[in-house]
Amino acid sequence: MIELKLTVNGREERVSIEPAETLLDVLRNRLHLTGTKDGCREGECGACTVLLDGKPIDACIYAAQAANGRRIETIEGLSGEQLGSVQRRIVEASGVQCGYCTPGIVMTLTALLREHPRPDRQLVRAALSGNLCRCTGYTQIVDAALAAAGDEARVES
Amino acid sequence: MEFLSARSVEEALQLLRAHGEAASILAGGSDLMIQLARGEVHPALLVHIEGIAELSGIAQHGNLTIGALTTHRQLATSARLACGYLALQESAASVGSRQTQEVGTLAGNICNASPAADTLAPLLVHAATVTLVSDARGERTLPLQDFLRGRRTTARQGDELLTRIELERVPARTADAYCKVGRRSAMEVAIAGLAARLTLSDDGQYIAEARIATCAVGPVPCRATSTEEFLKGRRPDERTLREAGALLAAGIAPIDDTRATARYRRSVMEGLLGRALRICTARVSITT
Repeated sequence: MIELKLTVNGREERVSIEPAETLLDVLRNRLHLTGTKDGCREGECGACTVLLDGKPIDACIYAAQAANGRRIETIEGLSGEQLGSVQRRIVEASGVQCGYCTPGIVMTLTALLREHPRPDRQLVRAALSGNLCRCTGYTQIVDAALAAAGDEARVES
Repeated sequence: MEFLSARSVEEALQLLRAHGEAASILAGGSDLMIQLARGEVHPALLVHIEGIAELSGIAQHGNLTIGALTTHRQLATSARLACGYLALQESAASVGSRQTQEVGTLAGNICNASPAADTLAPLLVHAATVTLVSDARGERTLPLQDFLRGRRTTARQGDELLTRIELERVPARTADAYCKVGRRSAMEVAIAGLAARLTLSDDGQYIAEARIATCAVGPVPCRATSTEEFLKGRRPDERTLREAGALLAAGIAPIDDTRATARYRRSVMEGLLGRALRICTARVSITT
Protein backbone atom coordinates (compact mmCIF):
# COMPACT_ATOMS: atom_id res chain seq x y z
CA MET A 1 0.00 0.00 0.00
CA ILE A 2 1.10 3.55 -0.74
CA GLU A 3 0.33 6.62 1.30
CA LEU A 4 -1.22 9.43 -0.72
CA LYS A 5 -1.89 13.03 0.30
CA LEU A 6 -4.65 14.87 -1.55
CA THR A 7 -6.55 18.10 -0.99
CA VAL A 8 -10.13 17.19 -1.83
CA ASN A 9 -12.74 19.95 -1.75
CA GLY A 10 -10.46 22.04 0.44
CA ARG A 11 -9.85 19.24 2.97
CA GLU A 12 -6.54 17.50 3.34
CA GLU A 13 -6.95 13.73 2.99
CA ARG A 14 -4.41 10.97 3.63
CA VAL A 15 -5.29 7.67 2.08
CA SER A 16 -3.60 4.29 1.53
CA ILE A 17 -3.92 2.92 -1.98
CA GLU A 18 -2.74 0.13 -4.28
CA PRO A 19 -0.21 1.27 -6.94
CA ALA A 20 -2.46 0.87 -9.98
CA GLU A 21 -5.54 2.66 -8.64
CA THR A 22 -7.08 5.48 -10.65
CA LEU A 23 -8.10 8.78 -9.12
CA LEU A 24 -11.73 7.71 -9.69
CA ASP A 25 -11.22 4.51 -7.65
CA VAL A 26 -9.68 6.47 -4.79
CA LEU A 27 -12.42 9.12 -4.73
CA ARG A 28 -15.27 6.60 -4.86
CA ASN A 29 -13.97 3.54 -3.02
CA ARG A 30 -11.51 4.98 -0.51
CA LEU A 31 -12.95 8.44 0.20
CA HIS A 32 -16.58 7.37 -0.48
CA LEU A 33 -17.23 10.42 -2.65
CA THR A 34 -19.63 8.58 -4.93
CA GLY A 35 -21.02 11.69 -6.58
CA THR A 36 -18.28 11.30 -9.20
CA LYS A 37 -19.69 8.64 -11.52
CA ASP A 38 -18.03 5.55 -12.97
CA GLY A 39 -19.09 5.38 -16.63
CA CYS A 40 -16.89 4.07 -19.43
CA ARG A 41 -13.53 3.84 -17.57
CA GLU A 42 -11.84 4.80 -20.86
CA GLY A 43 -11.99 8.60 -20.91
CA GLU A 44 -14.85 8.68 -23.41
CA CYS A 45 -17.96 9.69 -21.46
CA GLY A 46 -16.91 12.36 -18.93
CA ALA A 47 -19.16 11.04 -16.11
CA CYS A 48 -16.06 10.98 -13.87
CA THR A 49 -15.01 14.59 -14.56
CA VAL A 50 -13.33 16.25 -11.57
CA LEU A 51 -11.16 19.36 -11.36
CA LEU A 52 -7.45 18.77 -10.81
CA ASP A 53 -5.75 22.04 -9.84
CA GLY A 54 -8.81 23.70 -11.36
CA LYS A 55 -8.73 21.85 -14.69
CA PRO A 56 -11.39 19.36 -15.79
CA ILE A 57 -10.00 15.85 -16.26
CA ASP A 58 -11.39 12.32 -16.59
CA ALA A 59 -10.63 10.75 -13.18
CA CYS A 60 -11.09 7.23 -14.63
CA ILE A 61 -7.89 7.45 -16.69
CA TYR A 62 -5.81 9.49 -14.27
CA ALA A 63 -3.37 7.67 -11.99
CA ALA A 64 -4.18 8.39 -8.36
CA GLN A 65 -0.48 8.62 -7.54
CA ALA A 66 -0.06 11.33 -10.18
CA ALA A 67 -2.49 13.45 -8.14
CA ASN A 68 -0.34 13.18 -4.98
CA GLY A 69 -0.06 16.55 -3.26
CA ARG A 70 -2.52 18.20 -5.63
CA ARG A 71 -5.91 19.90 -5.33
CA ILE A 72 -9.07 18.07 -6.41
CA GLU A 73 -12.62 19.36 -6.59
CA THR A 74 -15.58 17.00 -6.91
CA ILE A 75 -19.33 17.52 -7.17
CA GLU A 76 -19.56 17.20 -3.37
CA GLY A 77 -17.48 20.36 -3.01
CA LEU A 78 -19.82 22.59 -5.02
CA SER A 79 -22.81 22.69 -2.71
CA GLY A 80 -23.10 23.37 1.01
CA GLU A 81 -26.50 24.17 2.49
CA GLN A 82 -27.69 25.19 -0.98
CA LEU A 83 -27.01 24.04 -4.50
CA GLY A 84 -24.41 25.93 -6.51
CA SER A 85 -25.54 28.17 -9.35
CA VAL A 86 -24.84 25.62 -12.13
CA GLN A 87 -26.69 22.89 -10.24
CA ARG A 88 -29.70 25.13 -9.48
CA ARG A 89 -29.98 26.25 -13.10
CA ILE A 90 -29.79 22.66 -14.36
CA VAL A 91 -32.69 21.73 -12.06
CA GLU A 92 -34.72 24.76 -13.21
CA ALA A 93 -34.08 24.05 -16.91
CA SER A 94 -34.99 20.35 -16.49
CA GLY A 95 -31.45 19.52 -17.59
CA VAL A 96 -31.54 16.17 -15.77
CA GLN A 97 -33.11 12.97 -16.98
CA CYS A 98 -31.42 9.84 -15.63
CA GLY A 99 -28.83 12.03 -13.90
CA TYR A 100 -25.80 9.81 -14.39
CA CYS A 101 -23.88 12.32 -16.52
CA THR A 102 -24.95 15.30 -14.40
CA PRO A 103 -22.09 15.49 -11.86
CA GLY A 104 -19.51 15.39 -14.67
CA ILE A 105 -21.38 18.01 -16.63
CA VAL A 106 -21.63 20.29 -13.58
CA MET A 107 -17.85 20.01 -13.04
CA THR A 108 -17.07 20.76 -16.70
CA LEU A 109 -19.41 23.77 -16.69
CA THR A 110 -17.95 25.03 -13.40
CA ALA A 111 -14.46 25.03 -14.98
CA LEU A 112 -15.80 26.69 -18.13
CA LEU A 113 -17.54 29.52 -16.24
CA ARG A 114 -14.44 30.24 -14.18
CA GLU A 115 -12.40 30.60 -17.38
CA HIS A 116 -15.10 32.27 -19.50
CA PRO A 117 -17.66 33.99 -17.25
CA ARG A 118 -19.86 34.95 -20.25
CA PRO A 119 -19.60 32.08 -22.76
CA ASP A 120 -21.78 31.95 -25.85
CA ARG A 121 -23.80 28.87 -26.84
CA GLN A 122 -21.03 27.59 -29.12
CA LEU A 123 -18.40 27.75 -26.38
CA VAL A 124 -20.69 25.89 -23.96
CA ARG A 125 -21.34 23.18 -26.54
CA ALA A 126 -17.62 22.81 -27.28
CA ALA A 127 -16.81 22.60 -23.54
CA LEU A 128 -19.37 19.80 -23.16
CA SER A 129 -17.98 17.75 -26.06
CA GLY A 130 -16.36 15.31 -23.63
CA ASN A 131 -19.49 14.77 -21.53
CA LEU A 132 -21.92 12.28 -23.00
CA CYS A 133 -25.60 12.49 -22.10
CA ARG A 134 -27.33 9.44 -23.56
CA CYS A 135 -30.76 10.77 -22.58
CA THR A 136 -29.82 13.54 -25.06
CA GLY A 137 -30.97 16.50 -23.02
CA TYR A 138 -28.21 18.80 -24.21
CA THR A 139 -30.43 21.75 -25.13
CA GLN A 140 -31.64 22.19 -21.56
CA ILE A 141 -28.11 21.70 -20.21
CA VAL A 142 -26.73 24.43 -22.49
CA ASP A 143 -29.64 26.72 -21.52
CA ALA A 144 -28.80 26.08 -17.86
CA ALA A 145 -25.13 26.93 -18.42
CA LEU A 146 -26.02 30.24 -20.07
CA ALA A 147 -28.45 31.09 -17.26
CA ALA A 148 -25.78 30.24 -14.65
CA ALA A 149 -23.34 32.52 -16.48
CA GLY A 150 -25.88 35.34 -16.09
CA ASP A 151 -26.10 34.65 -12.34
CA GLU A 152 -22.34 34.87 -11.89
CA ALA A 153 -22.21 38.12 -13.88
CA ARG A 154 -24.86 39.68 -11.62
CA VAL A 155 -23.00 38.57 -8.48
CA GLU A 156 -19.83 40.28 -9.71
CA SER A 157 -21.44 43.58 -10.68
CA MET B 1 3.68 -2.27 -10.66
CA GLU B 2 5.81 0.42 -9.09
CA PHE B 3 5.22 4.15 -9.55
CA LEU B 4 7.95 6.77 -9.27
CA SER B 5 7.59 10.50 -9.91
CA ALA B 6 10.60 12.25 -11.43
CA ARG B 7 11.01 15.93 -10.55
CA SER B 8 13.71 16.70 -13.10
CA VAL B 9 14.99 15.42 -16.44
CA GLU B 10 18.11 14.07 -14.71
CA GLU B 11 16.01 12.11 -12.23
CA ALA B 12 13.87 10.67 -15.04
CA LEU B 13 16.96 9.68 -17.04
CA GLN B 14 18.52 7.90 -14.05
CA LEU B 15 15.30 5.94 -13.48
CA LEU B 16 15.14 5.03 -17.18
CA ARG B 17 18.81 4.00 -17.17
CA ALA B 18 18.24 1.71 -14.20
CA HIS B 19 14.94 0.19 -15.35
CA GLY B 20 15.08 0.64 -19.14
CA GLU B 21 12.72 -1.64 -21.03
CA ALA B 22 10.78 -2.66 -17.91
CA ALA B 23 9.51 0.89 -17.41
CA SER B 24 6.78 2.89 -19.13
CA ILE B 25 6.90 6.67 -19.17
CA LEU B 26 3.70 8.23 -17.82
CA ALA B 27 2.82 11.84 -18.65
CA GLY B 28 -0.91 12.71 -18.72
CA GLY B 29 -1.80 9.06 -19.13
CA SER B 30 -4.69 9.55 -21.57
CA ASP B 31 -3.37 6.67 -23.72
CA LEU B 32 -1.25 4.66 -21.27
CA MET B 33 -3.86 4.40 -18.50
CA ILE B 34 -6.33 2.86 -20.97
CA GLN B 35 -3.68 0.43 -22.27
CA LEU B 36 -2.88 -0.58 -18.66
CA ALA B 37 -6.56 -1.11 -17.83
CA ARG B 38 -7.00 -3.28 -20.93
CA GLY B 39 -3.92 -5.33 -20.05
CA GLU B 40 -2.20 -4.37 -23.32
CA VAL B 41 0.99 -3.31 -21.55
CA HIS B 42 2.60 -4.72 -18.39
CA PRO B 43 5.39 -2.40 -17.21
CA ALA B 44 7.09 -3.21 -13.91
CA LEU B 45 7.49 0.50 -13.28
CA LEU B 46 5.76 3.73 -14.25
CA VAL B 47 8.13 6.70 -14.48
CA HIS B 48 5.82 9.68 -13.94
CA ILE B 49 7.24 12.78 -15.63
CA GLU B 50 4.18 15.07 -15.73
CA GLY B 51 5.55 17.38 -13.04
CA ILE B 52 8.84 18.25 -14.80
CA ALA B 53 8.17 21.93 -15.47
CA GLU B 54 11.20 22.44 -17.75
CA LEU B 55 9.64 20.09 -20.34
CA SER B 56 6.57 22.26 -20.86
CA GLY B 57 6.09 25.33 -23.01
CA ILE B 58 6.48 26.83 -26.48
CA ALA B 59 9.29 29.17 -27.59
CA GLN B 60 10.43 30.57 -30.93
CA HIS B 61 14.04 31.46 -31.72
CA GLY B 62 14.08 30.85 -35.46
CA ASN B 63 12.66 27.34 -35.19
CA LEU B 64 9.61 26.75 -33.02
CA THR B 65 10.52 24.65 -29.99
CA ILE B 66 7.79 22.78 -28.14
CA GLY B 67 8.50 21.10 -24.81
CA ALA B 68 7.61 17.42 -24.67
CA LEU B 69 5.00 17.88 -21.94
CA THR B 70 3.13 20.72 -23.62
CA THR B 71 -0.51 19.63 -23.45
CA HIS B 72 -3.01 19.52 -26.29
CA ARG B 73 -4.93 22.21 -24.44
CA GLN B 74 -1.85 24.47 -24.39
CA LEU B 75 -1.31 23.85 -28.11
CA ALA B 76 -4.98 24.50 -28.86
CA THR B 77 -4.95 27.87 -27.07
CA SER B 78 -1.40 29.16 -27.61
CA ALA B 79 -1.10 32.51 -29.38
CA ARG B 80 2.37 31.47 -30.59
CA LEU B 81 0.88 28.83 -32.87
CA ALA B 82 -1.57 31.28 -34.43
CA CYS B 83 1.24 32.62 -36.66
CA GLY B 84 2.07 29.90 -39.17
CA TYR B 85 1.27 26.77 -37.17
CA LEU B 86 -2.53 26.72 -37.25
CA ALA B 87 -2.57 23.11 -38.46
CA LEU B 88 -0.94 21.99 -35.21
CA GLN B 89 -3.40 24.07 -33.23
CA GLU B 90 -6.36 22.62 -35.16
CA SER B 91 -5.11 19.06 -34.74
CA ALA B 92 -4.55 19.47 -30.98
CA ALA B 93 -8.03 20.95 -30.58
CA SER B 94 -9.47 17.87 -32.31
CA VAL B 95 -7.82 15.27 -30.05
CA GLY B 96 -10.39 13.66 -27.73
CA SER B 97 -12.21 16.13 -25.50
CA ARG B 98 -11.48 19.07 -23.24
CA GLN B 99 -10.76 16.62 -20.39
CA THR B 100 -8.20 14.58 -22.32
CA GLN B 101 -6.65 17.68 -23.92
CA GLU B 102 -5.89 19.01 -20.40
CA VAL B 103 -3.64 16.05 -19.63
CA GLY B 104 -2.57 14.61 -23.00
CA THR B 105 0.86 15.81 -24.16
CA LEU B 106 2.49 16.32 -27.56
CA ALA B 107 5.31 13.86 -26.80
CA GLY B 108 2.70 11.39 -25.60
CA ASN B 109 0.84 11.64 -28.90
CA ILE B 110 4.14 11.13 -30.76
CA CYS B 111 5.46 8.22 -28.67
CA ASN B 112 2.11 6.43 -28.66
CA ALA B 113 2.59 6.39 -32.45
CA SER B 114 -1.01 5.69 -33.35
CA PRO B 115 -1.55 5.55 -37.13
CA ALA B 116 -4.40 8.03 -36.53
CA ALA B 117 -2.53 10.42 -34.19
CA ASP B 118 -3.88 13.88 -35.07
CA THR B 119 -0.82 15.99 -34.31
CA LEU B 120 1.64 13.96 -36.39
CA ALA B 121 0.56 15.10 -39.88
CA PRO B 122 0.89 18.82 -38.97
CA LEU B 123 4.28 18.15 -37.37
CA LEU B 124 5.43 16.35 -40.53
CA VAL B 125 4.54 19.24 -42.87
CA HIS B 126 6.63 21.50 -40.63
CA ALA B 127 9.58 19.07 -40.96
CA ALA B 128 9.56 18.47 -37.21
CA THR B 129 12.50 16.91 -35.42
CA VAL B 130 12.40 15.18 -32.06
CA THR B 131 15.19 15.31 -29.49
CA LEU B 132 15.83 12.34 -27.25
CA VAL B 133 18.13 12.25 -24.25
CA SER B 134 19.63 9.33 -22.36
CA ASP B 135 21.89 9.24 -19.33
CA ALA B 136 24.37 6.93 -21.08
CA ARG B 137 24.61 8.49 -24.55
CA GLY B 138 23.48 12.09 -24.18
CA GLU B 139 21.30 13.87 -26.72
CA ARG B 140 20.31 12.96 -30.28
CA THR B 141 17.95 14.70 -32.69
CA LEU B 142 16.21 12.98 -35.60
CA PRO B 143 13.46 13.80 -38.07
CA LEU B 144 10.01 12.83 -36.77
CA GLN B 145 9.46 10.76 -39.91
CA ASP B 146 12.47 8.57 -39.01
CA PHE B 147 11.39 8.37 -35.37
CA LEU B 148 8.05 6.81 -36.42
CA ARG B 149 8.96 3.21 -37.26
CA GLY B 150 5.54 1.60 -37.64
CA ARG B 151 2.17 1.17 -36.01
CA ARG B 152 2.76 1.97 -32.30
CA THR B 153 6.51 1.60 -32.84
CA THR B 154 9.14 4.33 -32.53
CA ALA B 155 12.92 4.60 -32.52
CA ARG B 156 12.94 5.48 -28.82
CA GLN B 157 15.29 3.29 -26.79
CA GLY B 158 14.13 2.17 -23.35
CA ASP B 159 16.48 4.54 -21.54
CA GLU B 160 15.62 7.59 -23.65
CA LEU B 161 13.31 10.49 -22.88
CA LEU B 162 11.80 12.64 -25.63
CA THR B 163 12.43 16.18 -24.40
CA ARG B 164 11.48 18.55 -27.21
CA ILE B 165 10.04 18.89 -30.68
CA GLU B 166 11.29 21.50 -33.17
CA LEU B 167 9.37 22.84 -36.15
CA GLU B 168 10.93 24.78 -39.02
CA ARG B 169 10.45 28.52 -39.20
CA VAL B 170 7.62 29.32 -41.60
CA PRO B 171 8.67 31.18 -44.80
CA ALA B 172 6.79 34.19 -46.23
CA ARG B 173 3.53 33.66 -48.20
CA THR B 174 2.98 30.38 -46.38
CA ALA B 175 -0.01 28.95 -44.54
CA ASP B 176 -1.05 25.56 -43.20
CA ALA B 177 -4.23 23.66 -42.31
CA TYR B 178 -5.35 20.36 -40.78
CA CYS B 179 -8.51 18.64 -41.99
CA LYS B 180 -9.99 15.51 -40.48
CA VAL B 181 -12.88 13.21 -41.21
CA GLY B 182 -14.73 11.48 -38.39
CA ARG B 183 -18.34 10.65 -37.56
CA ARG B 184 -18.54 13.52 -35.08
CA SER B 185 -16.37 16.51 -34.26
CA ALA B 186 -15.33 15.55 -30.72
CA MET B 187 -14.07 12.38 -29.04
CA GLU B 188 -13.33 10.94 -32.44
CA VAL B 189 -10.32 9.05 -33.72
CA ALA B 190 -9.59 10.24 -37.28
CA ILE B 191 -10.96 8.06 -40.08
CA ALA B 192 -8.68 10.07 -42.33
CA GLY B 193 -6.61 13.18 -41.62
CA LEU B 194 -4.52 15.51 -43.75
CA ALA B 195 -2.21 18.43 -43.06
CA ALA B 196 -0.97 20.81 -45.73
CA ARG B 197 1.60 23.60 -45.73
CA LEU B 198 1.49 25.77 -48.84
CA THR B 199 3.96 28.44 -49.97
CA LEU B 200 2.90 30.65 -52.87
CA SER B 201 5.23 32.36 -55.36
CA ASP B 202 6.13 36.08 -54.98
CA ASP B 203 3.24 37.09 -57.23
CA GLY B 204 0.86 34.79 -55.34
CA GLN B 205 -0.16 32.98 -58.53
CA TYR B 206 1.77 29.70 -58.29
CA ILE B 207 2.59 27.05 -55.72
CA ALA B 208 6.25 27.51 -54.79
CA GLU B 209 6.17 24.59 -52.36
CA ALA B 210 3.47 22.22 -51.13
CA ARG B 211 3.89 19.88 -48.20
CA ILE B 212 1.23 17.26 -47.60
CA ALA B 213 1.04 14.66 -44.83
CA THR B 214 -1.70 12.14 -44.13
CA CYS B 215 -2.77 10.08 -41.12
CA ALA B 216 -5.06 7.08 -40.54
CA VAL B 217 -4.48 5.83 -44.08
CA GLY B 218 -1.36 3.74 -43.41
CA PRO B 219 0.58 2.26 -40.48
CA VAL B 220 2.46 5.54 -39.97
CA PRO B 221 1.48 9.15 -40.75
CA CYS B 222 3.73 10.26 -43.61
CA ARG B 223 4.41 12.89 -46.27
CA ALA B 224 2.90 12.45 -49.75
CA THR B 225 5.98 13.39 -51.77
CA SER B 226 4.69 12.59 -55.28
CA THR B 227 1.63 14.78 -54.70
CA GLU B 228 3.92 17.51 -53.37
CA GLU B 229 6.08 17.28 -56.51
CA PHE B 230 3.00 17.41 -58.74
CA LEU B 231 1.71 20.59 -57.08
CA LYS B 232 5.01 22.46 -57.27
CA GLY B 233 4.96 25.26 -59.88
CA ARG B 234 1.25 24.89 -60.69
CA ARG B 235 -1.57 27.33 -60.09
CA PRO B 236 -3.73 26.31 -57.10
CA ASP B 237 -6.86 26.16 -59.29
CA GLU B 238 -9.71 23.66 -59.08
CA ARG B 239 -8.36 21.46 -61.85
CA THR B 240 -4.94 21.16 -60.18
CA LEU B 241 -6.54 20.39 -56.82
CA ARG B 242 -8.71 17.69 -58.42
CA GLU B 243 -5.77 16.05 -60.20
CA ALA B 244 -3.61 16.25 -57.07
CA GLY B 245 -6.43 14.65 -55.06
CA ALA B 246 -6.63 11.74 -57.47
CA LEU B 247 -2.85 11.31 -57.36
CA LEU B 248 -2.88 11.35 -53.55
CA ALA B 249 -5.71 8.80 -53.38
CA ALA B 250 -3.86 6.49 -55.76
CA GLY B 251 -0.67 6.72 -53.69
CA ILE B 252 -2.04 5.72 -50.28
CA ALA B 253 -2.74 2.20 -49.04
CA PRO B 254 -5.44 2.49 -46.36
CA ILE B 255 -7.00 -0.53 -44.64
CA ASP B 256 -10.55 -1.66 -43.88
CA ASP B 257 -11.29 -1.50 -40.15
CA THR B 258 -14.21 -0.94 -37.81
CA ARG B 259 -14.17 2.80 -38.46
CA ALA B 260 -14.22 2.82 -42.27
CA THR B 261 -13.41 0.89 -45.44
CA ALA B 262 -10.23 1.47 -47.44
CA ARG B 263 -12.35 2.63 -50.37
CA TYR B 264 -14.11 5.25 -48.24
CA ARG B 265 -10.78 6.47 -46.85
CA ARG B 266 -9.36 6.85 -50.34
CA SER B 267 -12.34 8.81 -51.57
CA VAL B 268 -12.49 11.21 -48.61
CA MET B 269 -8.73 11.80 -48.79
CA GLU B 270 -9.21 13.11 -52.31
CA GLY B 271 -11.65 15.70 -50.99
CA LEU B 272 -9.58 16.52 -47.90
CA LEU B 273 -6.61 17.58 -50.03
CA GLY B 274 -8.69 20.11 -51.96
CA ARG B 275 -10.28 21.40 -48.76
CA ALA B 276 -6.93 21.83 -46.98
CA LEU B 277 -5.26 23.54 -49.95
CA ARG B 278 -8.18 25.95 -50.43
CA ILE B 279 -7.92 26.88 -46.72
CA CYS B 280 -4.14 27.38 -47.08
CA THR B 281 -4.59 29.61 -50.16
CA ALA B 282 -7.18 31.73 -48.35
CA ARG B 283 -4.93 32.01 -45.29
CA VAL B 284 -1.92 33.11 -47.36
CA SER B 285 -3.99 35.87 -48.95
CA ILE B 286 -5.19 37.08 -45.53
CA THR B 287 -1.70 37.30 -44.04
CA THR B 288 0.02 38.94 -47.02
